[in-house]
Amino acid sequence: MSHVDISGWYNSLQQEFRSNSSKIEKISRRSEYWRKSNLDIVSDFVYDSSDTDINKQKGTCLYEPDLTIHGDNLEFMNKQSNQISSIMDVIADEQSFAKNYFGRLEEKSQKRIPRPLARDNTLDPKVGFALSFSDCLKNPLVIHNKTNTSNSNCFQRNLIVIKENVEVTIIETGNNLSVFNTVTEIYLEKNAKLNYLDFTGENNIFPKICHKFCDMAENSSFNHFGLKLNTKATRTEIELHLNGKGINTSIANVSLLNKKNHFSDENVLINHNGFECKSRQVFKSVLENDCTSIVRGKIYVAPEAQKTDGYQSSRSLLLSENSKFFCKPELEIYADDVICSHGSTSSSLDRESLFYLLSRGVHKSKAKEMLVIAFISEALEEIESEDIKAALSNYIENWISSFFNE
Amino acid sequence: MLKIDNLKVSLEEEEKQIIKGLSLSINPGEFHAIMGPNGSGKSTLSSVLAGKDGYTVDSGSVTFEGRNLLEAEVEERAALGIFMAFQYPIEIPGVGNMNFLRTALNSQRKTRGQEELNAADFLKLVRAIAKDLEISDEMMKRPVNVGASGGEKKRNEILQMCLLEPKFVILDETDSGLDVDAMKLVSKGVNNFSSSSRSFLVITHYQRLLNYIVPDFVHILVDGRIVDTGDKDLALHVEETGYKDFL
Ligand SMILES: Nc1ncnc2c1ncn2[C@@H]1O[C@H](COP(=O)(O)OP(=O)(O)OP(=O)(O)O)[C@@H](O)[C@H]1O
Ligand SMILES: [Mg+2]
Repeated sequence: MSHVDISGWYNSLQQEFRSNSSKIEKISRRSEYWRKSNLDIVSDFVYDSSDTDINKQKGTCLYEPDLTIHGDNLEFMNKQSNQISSIMDVIADEQSFAKNYFGRLEEKSQKRIPRPLARDNTLDPKVGFALSFSDCLKNPLVIHNKTNTSNSNCFQRNLIVIKENVEVTIIETGNNLSVFNTVTEIYLEKNAKLNYLDFTGENNIFPKICHKFCDMAENSSFNHFGLKLNTKATRTEIELHLNGKGINTSIANVSLLNKKNHFSDENVLINHNGFECKSRQVFKSVLENDCTSIVRGKIYVAPEAQKTDGYQSSRSLLLSENSKFFCKPELEIYADDVICSHGSTSSSLDRESLFYLLSRGVHKSKAKEMLVIAFISEALEEIESEDIKAALSNYIENWISSFFNE
Repeated sequence: MLKIDNLKVSLEEEEKQIIKGLSLSINPGEFHAIMGPNGSGKSTLSSVLAGKDGYTVDSGSVTFEGRNLLEAEVEERAALGIFMAFQYPIEIPGVGNMNFLRTALNSQRKTRGQEELNAADFLKLVRAIAKDLEISDEMMKRPVNVGASGGEKKRNEILQMCLLEPKFVILDETDSGLDVDAMKLVSKGVNNFSSSSRSFLVITHYQRLLNYIVPDFVHILVDGRIVDTGDKDLALHVEETGYKDFL
């Protein structure tokens, strides 16, 4: 085991957090937050480095990376990345900007939902990046996660701070075979904007738990888009704190699963604490065989959060009878002047639409593909950048033929 | 070209026979019209010919150019040259009209072992057809039929027909819901499209369409059976007296 240098502030944080850890409810089937989930994701995880498939699993690579996370090494490829440092350097640095941020959102996000795995991560990070942007980025920052077979089961820890009036797009690509548990803390100052697109994990056979906690100041916006292309087992926990007026946020996810027993488990909690904030949640799951998708989206509206506009839509397309979709939309509202809506549906492929396409000669597998693409398009629409949206749609259209043709 | 012999069809879910022994023979170049009261089984017949599921063929046979049609998959029938214009064309949100048309055309070509049409040639072809039918570019860019009016949807069906160039066309009440001008456009489209090798089976409630498209035969379908066959004068007779003579 390598020796890790740590700073005084991180040392005291560790001690404080460690002593509080016992108060965090452990993961169990009885826990409200894991009832429908596949607990194998935490208990039965065995990393088998002899698995020959590992190197084939490059993951979704739409763009050239600016930063590659290779096992526990960070490789910078582009000068766009000079505002990025390694999280391991950050926690060793007495003067780091991170000392006012690190761990604070994790701690706050334990308030309503116990997140013991996030706490484990805080106490023992192994790799990750810290970004503090005080200027807009012209192009998306592309972070590529790469397998490193020698380093398994590692905790990735990231910190993102976006200063006032700064707009940034981050795209995470590649695969994270060696990463099991990630925590990303995100701080958006006034008027800041972050578009975060997580394309990692395509065909990933290893489980992954991913936390993203975000603190948002007045007029900031956060758009998160997640993609699970036959990722075996994922649990995503996103919690946002909308702390000022006029905040805008959108959380979208697309899961396409048809391999044996795959599942995706999306958990979102949006805390509306400010006046006139808007949040949107759009989930689309396409499931075949014995795959499962779980969506739990909660909107909490504090008494002072008048004029809240909260929208949530969770829809699944079940392509076989043994695929399962569990959806639990929750609203907890303490303000009186709010609009909150949620809708949830499960359906099979529309027979009339399928017949229409077939009757014009479209082959059956192609017709199914077209209807699946149509089904997920509402979620893709949440992506703001037309370029990224087009590149991603194109990617998925190509990918999806392998979904049906196996 | 198409031969239906003593066909009996029931609904799959209920024990209810809809087509009760129907025979019909259509030769290349012929134009057949079917008229009949609501619920007599006209759309059921067209659905069965197009291959829609939900029906059980109790007995009888359908051959198309010597081939047992009832055994062919829906998309195979399309590639064989069968086209049904829907009585109620559906909307398919999220599927772009152009993408749909190009996929349909190229899928059929592929099935028939023909080369696929490239994007430029396809565009030229589809634009020319759309222009003749006065379908706007904006409509072509939308998802399939989304937001289209009833009449616009019917025109889209005719556009698909012209693009896919089938040998045998079923028009299921394509004339219903069309305004006077659209009716002329559609009939012109159909007349231009007709040829000595193409056949039509046109389901209609109105003699009006038959003024533009003159049928070789008019059949009266009542309660799942053809009860009378004549020429265009039979349609005029029905228009005047209704179906009471046939019930
Ligand atoms: N899927 C179905 N489920 C239940 N009943 C059906 C179904 N399809 C057809 N029917 C019934 O079969 C009968 C024939 O219907 P069909 O649509 O073929 O009539 P049609 O002659 O086309 O009538 P219209 O002139 O109103 O279009 C009707 O009684 C109809 O209710
Ligand atoms: Mg009908």
